[in-house]
Parts: sequence; C-alpha cells; structure tokens
Amino acid sequence: MSRGMPRASGYFRTDYAQDLALTQTRLERASLLAFAVMLAAFPFLATAFYLDLACQVFLAAIGALSLMLLTGYAGQISLGHAGLLAAGAFTAGILFREFNAPFWVTLPAAAAVGALLGIVFGLPSLRLRGLYLAVSTLALHFVVVYLGGEYESKRGYSTGIMIDAPTIGGYAITNGRVWYFVLLVAAAATLLICINLLRSRTGRAWRAIRAHETVAEALGINIAAYKLLAFVISSAMAAVAGALFAYYRHFVSVEAFSLFLSIQYVAMIIVGGMGSLLGALLGAVFVTLFPYLIEAALQQLPNAQSYAGVLFAVNYAAFGVVMILFLLFEPLGLVGIWHRVQHYFLLWPFKHRPVAGAGK
Amino acid sequence: MVDEEAITRDALRNRTAPSLLCERARSSPDRVAFRSKHLGIYRERNFRDYALLVARAAKALAGIGLIKGERVAIMGDACEEWMICDLASQSLGAIVFGIYPTASAAEVEYQLRDGGAAIFIAEDQEYVDKVLPIIDRLPDMRAVIVIDDSAMFDYDHRKLMSYEKLVGPAESDLDWLEAQVGRVNACDPAIIVYTSGTTGHPKGALITHGKHLAATANLVDHYPTLTEKQHRTVAYLPLCHILGRDIAVTLPLISRLVPHFGEDPEDLATTMFEVAPTVLFTVPRYLQKFAAQIVVGISNSSKLKRTSYEFAMRLARRHVRRLWDGIATGADEAAYRACHAAVFRPILNKLGFDCLEFVICGGAPLPPETMALWQMYGVNVLEVYGQTEEAGGIIAGQRGQFPRPGNVGTAPDGWDVRLADDGEVLVRSPDLFESYWHNEDATRAVKHADGWLRTGDIGEWTDGALRLIDRARDFIVTSGGKTISPSFIENILRASPYISEAVVFGHGRKYLTALVEIDFDMVSDWARRNDIAYTGFTNLAEKPQVVRLIKGEFDKANAEFARVEQIKTFRILPKALDPEEEGEPVTPTRKIKRTQMYERFKPLVEAMYDDSEGRLLAGEVGDVLRA
Repeated sequence: MSRGMPRASGYFRTDYAQDLALTQTRLERASLLAFAVMLAAFPFLATAFYLDLACQVFLAAIGALSLMLLTGYAGQISLGHAGLLAAGAFTAGILFREFNAPFWVTLPAAAAVGALLGIVFGLPSLRLRGLYLAVSTLALHFVVVYLGGEYESKRGYSTGIMIDAPTIGGYAITNGRVWYFVLLVAAAATLLICINLLRSRTGRAWRAIRAHETVAEALGINIAAYKLLAFVISSAMAAVAGALFAYYRHFVSVEAFSLFLSIQYVAMIIVGGMGSLLGALLGAVFVTLFPYLIEAALQQLPNAQSYAGVLFAVNYAAFGVVMILFLLFEPLGLVGIWHRVQHYFLLWPFKHRPVAGAGK
Repeated sequence: MVDEEAITRDALRNRTAPSLLCERARSSPDRVAFRSKHLGIYRERNFRDYALLVARAAKALAGIGLIKGERVAIMGDACEEWMICDLASQSLGAIVFGIYPTASAAEVEYQLRDGGAAIFIAEDQEYVDKVLPIIDRLPDMRAVIVIDDSAMFDYDHRKLMSYEKLVGPAESDLDWLEAQVGRVNACDPAIIVYTSGTTGHPKGALITHGKHLAATANLVDHYPTLTEKQHRTVAYLPLCHILGRDIAVTLPLISRLVPHFGEDPEDLATTMFEVAPTVLFTVPRYLQKFAAQIVVGISNSSKLKRTSYEFAMRLARRHVRRLWDGIATGADEAAYRACHAAVFRPILNKLGFDCLEFVICGGAPLPPETMALWQMYGVNVLEVYGQTEEAGGIIAGQRGQFPRPGNVGTAPDGWDVRLADDGEVLVRSPDLFESYWHNEDATRAVKHADGWLRTGDIGEWTDGALRLIDRARDFIVTSGGKTISPSFIENILRASPYISEAVVFGHGRKYLTALVEIDFDMVSDWARRNDIAYTGFTNLAEKPQVVRLIKGEFDKANAEFARVEQIKTFRILPKALDPEEEGEPVTPTRKIKRTQMYERFKPLVEAMYDDSEGRLLAGEVGDVLRA
C-alpha cells in the first residue's frame, strides 16, 4: 500500500518511523480505536446466531484476503481457492484423526501443505495467463477434492471427519465468544501481514508484475520467483483458513468445498473491489451475509412458508444478478462506493482536489 | 545565556548573525532551528547541528581563500545549504549577495560584475550553466561551487567544484567558528541586496551586520507573538530578497520562528499542506494564486457544496464588514464561527492554512479584494510595507485582528515615518542600509544628511494608519489632464483569477487601455471545462471565448472605477512573461517595467489607439447624430 499524504494538514514526518506508522492523523487513530471498541463489544451484545455470522465473516475474510493478494495484487487468476481451503481442512482433520495432533501442529502443517500446493500449482502461471491459468488452477481443486473424498471413503468417514475442539492448556475452545475473538485475532493478523507485505518490496514487485510483466522484468524483478511467492503465500494463508474452518465446524467433509465456494471467493474480491484489502474485507462481509439477507427478505413476504422450497434457487439467482450488476455498474466494487462517499466528505466543499498538494 | 526575548535592538546592533548562531548553539543547542525536507522526511536541525554545518562550510570556504570583505554570490531556490553558505561566508567577514533564481543571463552577469563576486555558489546545474559561459569575463571569480551536482559528471572546469567534495572533508567545531566570528565587527558590511530595478539596472543595497539584525528586530517588536511562542513557517520566497532572508536566516536567530523548507519550490502546495504553518510571510501573488484556486475549485463543485459555500460567504461578507467597523456582536461571531467550522476550515485545511495565526504580506501592494477575501475565509492577513533599503525592517505594518484592508498600518516603535510636502513617504531610523554598492549618486539621491530616507512612494495618513496612494511616482496623466494611478487599476484587474498581470497605458492619450497576461492555469482549466480546444498559451490567448471571458472581467472591474479610470479596451499578450528570458519587461520578482513593456508590445498598444477606422466610420455617419 503506497501511502499518500495524510488527509489533514499539519502532519509532517521527521523520521521514517513516522512514515511507516499505520495511522497518521488523529482522526485515523480515533476512528480505528472506535472500530476496535465496537468489535470488542459485539460478542457481548449479539445473540449466538449473529456471533456465528461474525465468525463466518472472519473466516471468509482470511480466505478473501489471501485471494486478493494473488489475484487483486499479483494479477494471477485462481479458481482453485476452495481446493486450498479443503487442503487445509483435510490436513488438520487427517492429522487429528491419525496422529491425534494438537492444533499447534496441525495449523503450521496446513500452512506447509498449502505452500507446497502453491508451488506446484503456481508453476503453470510461469507459462500460462488468463483463462488458461484459471483452468489449470481448477485442476488443483479437483485433485484435492478427489484425494479428500478418497480418504473419507477408504477410512470409513463417509459422512465426514469429526474434529475435537482445540485445547489450550486443558481449556477447550467451544464457547462462541471465545471463537469470535480467536477468529478476530486471526483475521486481524492476516490483514496486518497483507498490509505489510504490500507496502514492502514484495508487494511492490507483485503490483509491477500485474501492471506489466515485461516492464517489471526490465526493472529487475524476478518474475518467476515473485509469481511463485504470491502463490505460496496466498495458498498457505488459505490453507490456514481452511484448517480454522475445520476446527470451528468440528467437522471436515468434501461437500463443504464445492466449486461454488471458489466462485464465491472470486465474487468476494470482485464485489469488494479488486486491488484493495478493504475490498476483500467488504466482499467477505457482503458475500457471507447475502444469503441470510435474501432469506430475511423472503420471510417478509406474505405467505412466506410456501417459498421455503425455492429459497436455494432464489439465493443462487439473486447472487448471480448481484454479480452481474456489480460488474456492469460498479466495477470498482464496494470499495469504490466507499471511496466515493469518503471523497465527498473529505473534499468538502470542493468536488475535485483544489490544489496539487492537498490530501486526497 | 541568550534569552531572545531579552535581546534589545541596541544589543542586536552590536552583534552579527553568525555570532547569534554561536550563542544559540551554546545556550539552546537542542532547540530546532529549522526543518528541511529531504527524501520525504523533514530533517530537524537543532542549533548545534546548524552551527556545526556552518562551521564546516566556513572552514571549507576559508580553505579556498575566502577572506574578509570579499563578495560571495549565491544563486538558487530557498534551501538549507543556501543559509549555511550564507552564514559561513558572513562568519568569515565576506559580503554575501543572492541572485534571483529566475534572473536572466544578462542580469546574472551584471550582478556578478557589479558585486565583484569571488565565489559563486550555485544550487544546481541550472545556475552553473548560467555562469560558466560568462566566467571568462569575470576576472574576480575564483570558484564556482555547486550544491547539487547530480547529472554533472560531464562537467569539467578548473574553477568548478562540488559542495559535497569541498565541505565533506572539512572538520571544524564551534570554538573555531567563534574565533572566526570574533574577528567580524557588527558595523562591517554583511550583505548586499539587489533591488528589483523596474527602472534601469538593479542597485545593490549594502547592509551591515548589526543594522540588519536591529532593523529586522522591528518586525519582532511589531509582532511580539513571534517570540512569545514557537511558530512554524514555510520558507519559499527567494533568499536573495530581503523578506526571504528575514524569514529563513535572520528571524529564526532573533525570535522563535522555525522555517520549513520543502523538497522543491514546485512542491510548495504540498509543503504548505504538510507543515500547516502558524505564521506565513508572503507576497501578494501567492495569496492571489491560492485564492483563485479556491474560487475556481468552488465554481467546479457540486450544487449542494457550492450553495453551502455561497451561504457561508454571504454571512462572512457581513461579518468582516462588522469587524472592520468594530461593531461585531457575540451573535455575529457565533454565526460566523459555525460557517467557518463547516465551510472555511475544510477549505483552509486543504491548503494547510488552517493553523495560521496571521499572514504577513509585503513586497508589493496587496489588492484590498484579495485581503478581504482571505479575511472572510478567516485568515488574518496583515499588510506590511518595507523596502530593501530598510535593511530587513518594515516601514509600517498592520497589527491586530482582521484590520480593514487598504492601508499598511502603523510604523514600528523607534522608527520615524513622515510625509514630505508632496506626500512622499520618508523614514528615519538608526538601522537603515549603508549605501548603494559603488553608486554614491544613487545613495545621495535617497539618503539625506539629516537621516531621512526617501522611499519614492506617495502616501497619506488615514485614521493614524499609513495608506499608500502610489508606488514609485508612477502616474499616468491622460490627454484630458486627469492624473490616474495605474497600479490602483492594475491591482483591481489582477484580483480576477483569470488575469495574472495587467499593465495600464494611457499617458498623454484620450483614454486608458491595458495589456493583459492571462493566468494560464486558471484559463486553461476554464477552457477545458467549457470544451474549448486549444494547443498552447498563444492559441489559448487568441480564442474568442477567452477574449470574451477577459472582457467580462474588465466589465466587472470597470464598474468599480470612476469614469476616467475606466479601461476602454485591452489586448491579451500572446505569450507568458518570463523573467528568465532576455529583454523581457519583467523583473525576477515579476514586477513590470512599464516603459519596456510598451517598447516590447508597441504594436499591440498602438492598435488599441488606432482610430483611423473610427474616423472613417464617423465620416460616413457625418453629423447625423448631432442633429
């Protein structure tokens, strides 16, 4: 993230540490604090249902952030994201079932498996681009799901693998509130890693590759290495998200990792806004909550019971329509809308930046 | 111990700027002297660093033989090395003069020859290129030092050396610097400041160390807040100008002003925004330019935003008028404050002007409209009046909160200002310039034996404040016998955002005409918004729509003038005035040389008075109309 200037006057930096600070102005610090307080207070006000929704959003956010790194920043399209989540979930499930491994072994193991898959399925990206790359990543999905299905049926877990709640010092994490904070911390840590990756050499190299590979290479960027790195980091993150998902659900099954899940993650980053971490977060919130919103809307209709059977179909259809509408009318995604709203107030009472120097 | 508040003018008269720097380095070594932006970071220099930088530069300059009384010329934009070289030279007793960064080659040669510079310090390649072709004609010049030698690997001249290579190995300390400074007397000449010279060659005003400090202290006495608390300011005016020198070099030594240098003068808007100065010293041009950007920005804004602004402006207009009349009540104040918070503060924030306690504007007459506009925005603009010959001090300045525009305030304590019989402003003080460098006749013409200095400007007293009627006796007498002040009319014309320069003609003619330079940024922006295609400056200036736009601005201005002052017609200059070009009728400070302007654009001016066509038509009509 290349930082522009502060958004209010009078913030000059006298050393580079200030330049690296994540918040520059008092307003930024205050709003960040307010947001943190809100997040911390949420589980004490929300019901179990909303708590579960929030946890789902956090899990989706980790997955969406990792895909955003790969697609939104490094420009490498992937349809194998569900496969990577599945790989992480199965790694955790298998290690737990076979070796009774604790979570502090299974999570790093999931990351390692993800990284390995990232290398293998990143290799085609050195030769292929666009649609062809998308198809080759699709192969990843089928391979992983096939292997997972084989394991399930050969070992007799045909309905899925059950996983016990992770324990820390004899305390099992079963409480919804505790899960909320665990996943919140995981999502926040992922976000921080992404922010720092993107404003360092790695992130700049990725963006250069996305903008123009030949120019990036002329600038001295090792294209092959950085492309593979994008696959490795993104896949490792996604696999960890998969493992967390397995623990959160106490259950792993190939059924959960359909091709539609991959599409949903791609939808998150498109609806959220390509090339923006905030976009990944907004997309994760939107796509996770969308089916529940549709359901709630249908409930409001008269004679709601009679629609219960078509709920799934309506959901899919509405999802498709929303995707098309976003692609047509708001290609910048939710983050584009957010920036427009923000600019309206930040530029007040101007419409455009009045002088070259002023903040955006 | 040095306590700046305790230093009186009498004490300053016996000091030198380098000696003050040494005292500061001893008494408050850790206090921030200035901040200068380098690779995105405002490097803080405290007084210890500052003095050591000066000591090393002085050692290096002494190493190449700079001795007391020799002249050093510095050319470049405001930057920390400029000040360091300046104080380093002064501490060796050398006399420093700056050359405008925009000066043309002929002006550079004239000043280097007139000043007889032994060392020329250039900020970068651009200025080296100006001096190398003429260096053989300058016998006194021993060395050319270039501060930023990037992209100069191909330069090879025996007199050319890099600042880094020269100063880098020099080792020095405060004791050595103090020893050098001790040999310089307060009554020795310190600097030469060249006046801009709208008529003839620029004259170099010679100023001594002590008098410069004591004179500049009159600014501090006039605006005591400068010593009462720490103030941030942006140093961007050329340091060769006396006002620029005051801000960057002198005031930080005698007050608590901390100048901030941007990375490049082109980035002024960014620098302002980042620094958010609490005090700003400026010339009218910048205030006009910034105000024009605001006005145009608002006119491009959406309807709701524009309406909010217009509503706030209506209130603000009433409010400033009440402020000037001294009848503002608490209720007015509250209503205005609400508008200020909702509309003007966000505007000022975008320019970095929201922390300003006051703005001091000098150097040229400030159009009252510009001043009033800023006051409506809530910026306390104060006009000051001074010249190079006052050695860094001011003759008069407005004080307080939101004074009525149109005058230049009162004289500072200890300075006598009076009007001669013909209205010319005369000033007397122990701290004036010594003489014009090598020009005794010119000195005698302005400096009287009884201590009064002639300013050449005509003024009058109104309610205890000095009002300037005209500068430099610049009157037009029309063929109708009316005496008109062109600068008054030009100022009003310049208040338009689309007009950057206007020159009024009409001496000995029937009516007044004007030549106009359009403000390229503003007019091109306007053209783009109105779908007018243009290829460049000249093409844009010729567009009939642009002519109509400027005509509209003239009609607005004419409505304010008395009948004899009205501009009958105008022509737009086909090119931008560029002081760097040879023979341009504009000084490096962008003051217009009126007679040269006429010579240069004679056909344009004469075309406005060409009445053969009119006579022809009148002949056709005959005396039908008189019937």
